[in-house]
Amino acid sequence: MSADLGASTDRAAAPGAPARAVEPWSGRVGVPAPRGPAQAAALAAPAAVAHASDRGARIVSVAIALAWHVAIGLPAVLGARAEFTAPAVVLGGWLLVAGAGLVAGARLLHGAPLPPWPFAGLLLVVDAAVFAAVGEGHLFAAANWVWSTLGWFFVLAMWGRRVAGLVALLTAHALIALVAVLGHGHDAADLARYAMYVYGTFSLPVAVFVGGATIVGLARERAGAAAAVHAMAAERDAAEQGLRERRDRLALVGAAAGRVLGELAAGQADPDDPEVQRRCVLAAARLRRLIAESDDVPDPLLHELRAAADLAERNGLPIDLVTIGNPPPLPVEIRRRLADPLTGILADARGWARLTVVSGQDEVVISLVTPDREGPEATGPPPGEHDDGLVQHLYERDGDIRWAQTRWRR
Amino acid sequence: MGADPVAAMSGDRPVGVAIVDDHPVVVEGVRAWLASEPRLTVLSTGDDPDEVLRAAPDADVVLLDLRLHGRMVLDKLAELSATGRRVVVYSEHTDPETMLAALDAGAVAFLAKHEGREHCVATVLAAASDRPYVPPALAGAMVGDHRPDRPMLSDKEREALLLWFQSMSKASVARRMQISEHTVKQYVDRARIKYTRAGRPAATKAALLARAIEDGLVRPEEIGIYRSQATHDRPTP
Repeated sequence: MSADLGASTDRAAAPGAPARAVEPWSGRVGVPAPRGPAQAAALAAPAAVAHASDRGARIVSVAIALAWHVAIGLPAVLGARAEFTAPAVVLGGWLLVAGAGLVAGARLLHGAPLPPWPFAGLLLVVDAAVFAAVGEGHLFAAANWVWSTLGWFFVLAMWGRRVAGLVALLTAHALIALVAVLGHGHDAADLARYAMYVYGTFSLPVAVFVGGATIVGLARERAGAAAAVHAMAAERDAAEQGLRERRDRLALVGAAAGRVLGELAAGQADPDDPEVQRRCVLAAARLRRLIAESDDVPDPLLHELRAAADLAERNGLPIDLVTIGNPPPLPVEIRRRLADPLTGILADARGWARLTVVSGQDEVVISLVTPDREGPEATGPPPGEHDDGLVQHLYERDGDIRWAQTRWRR
Repeated sequence: MGADPVAAMSGDRPVGVAIVDDHPVVVEGVRAWLASEPRLTVLSTGDDPDEVLRAAPDADVVLLDLRLHGRMVLDKLAELSATGRRVVVYSEHTDPETMLAALDAGAVAFLAKHEGREHCVATVLAAASDRPYVPPALAGAMVGDHRPDRPMLSDKEREALLLWFQSMSKASVARRMQISEHTVKQYVDRARIKYTRAGRPAATKAALLARAIEDGLVRPEEIGIYRSQATHDRPTP
């Protein structure tokens, strides 16, 4: 009679078959992706997108700072060097900022920026020195290079920090310039020019700085939302598939149990008949397994073990599969080494079988216990204990039971 | 609870059991299981804990189905345990959370309905004398317990629980661990006793602990916070 349980299993399995395609990540009967990696991807994707955006903005800022410093600042400084009050200070300051700017740019692009405040301090010292050294005639000329380029180096110094730091530095820069303007004797035109220059030095660096940060934030947010939607959809699909499979199995076992109960009630089946008892045991074992399934999204390892248990049961073996905890996401190789030896032994088991899985975040232990039989091992590994580097294996027969256990520890 | 379980166990009279279940067929099945053990007698059965205990106020052990009329009766379990009733929960709901919640609420033992006559009789007899009995399903729940406030088990206790859960044979566990069956049982029972710390205090937990100390299964200082309560309840030898 157990044959008709098997036959109906095949029938019930057929409609689900196309969904169980072989998937590249497992090389096995496919189940939806487990929850762990989906969540990890949902967290990693926004960070990656934000990182890419941020890197683009950094490259732009470094390029602007260095290009301006070299292409605009240098020719002006060289052209007017004879007219400065202290040419060595202006040129030396330019070289110092060029060197420090190169280092700061390189470090920023490699994700290890210079300490912001020492770098900013150096820039302000150079700022004051150059204002003092250019002389009155060049105060508002291109040769006073600190006007035009220093703001961009402030941006490099303050990258990734709050905009208040940049504003503070630019304000300090404006105050230094004001002192220089007032010190050199000023008129209304100088003050107007000063105001214009300050506006110019403030507006562009602050705009780039704030714009860069905003774009990075937006990119992170959008990527995060997209990843969350994607992960939710994947999880829902997986849960729906799990539910469908469970419903199929329930219908199957319900029919098998209903049939034998109906025959018992109608007096067609004899409770003393060992075959009837066996059908009851099989139906009860399968119902119990179904009740015990508590994972919303099927885990690939448990899925493999359940598939093996279903197969053994179809061959008439009453099997208990008890799972405690949810396995963490495991690489295919570890999953194979955990499950394969046991599913192999299960295929050869007679009488009954008890398959247990105890999982924690750092450990997964699977055990298969079957009655010990006379004679040599039909299949399966010889008794003993060994560690294959990923998984510990233990095989034992003590006359009463045959006991196989595989254990993975993080 | 007028009955002295030790006297009951020494043969003066059998252990009185009350069965609470809303499925008559289950009640009859469990009654039949227990009837085969002369040291046990079923005093009362029914689907309402209060009525069953009114009919049998002297019952030493209550076998309680955790789901009555579609509702989980963990609150009733806690109430009974708080008053010192030795409740053995038996249920088809064998997810670890439910089992551990039952222990937290003060159940003396948890028995999965499919675990069979042998475990049922052994559990009830142990419960009557305030001694622990850990059927394999409960061992699995304890070994898989990852709650942050779970009791700290020793490596040996954990391994014994795991192997007992896997094999359901203490003889096989003993062979595997290369210790005696008696020692296997001690490891398993000690792990169970450590669970008397989990959840809220209950008279049944104190009684289990006190008996464990009396039996030399654990030393009071191993249990920490329950020490004062236990020594107050029953003096250590």
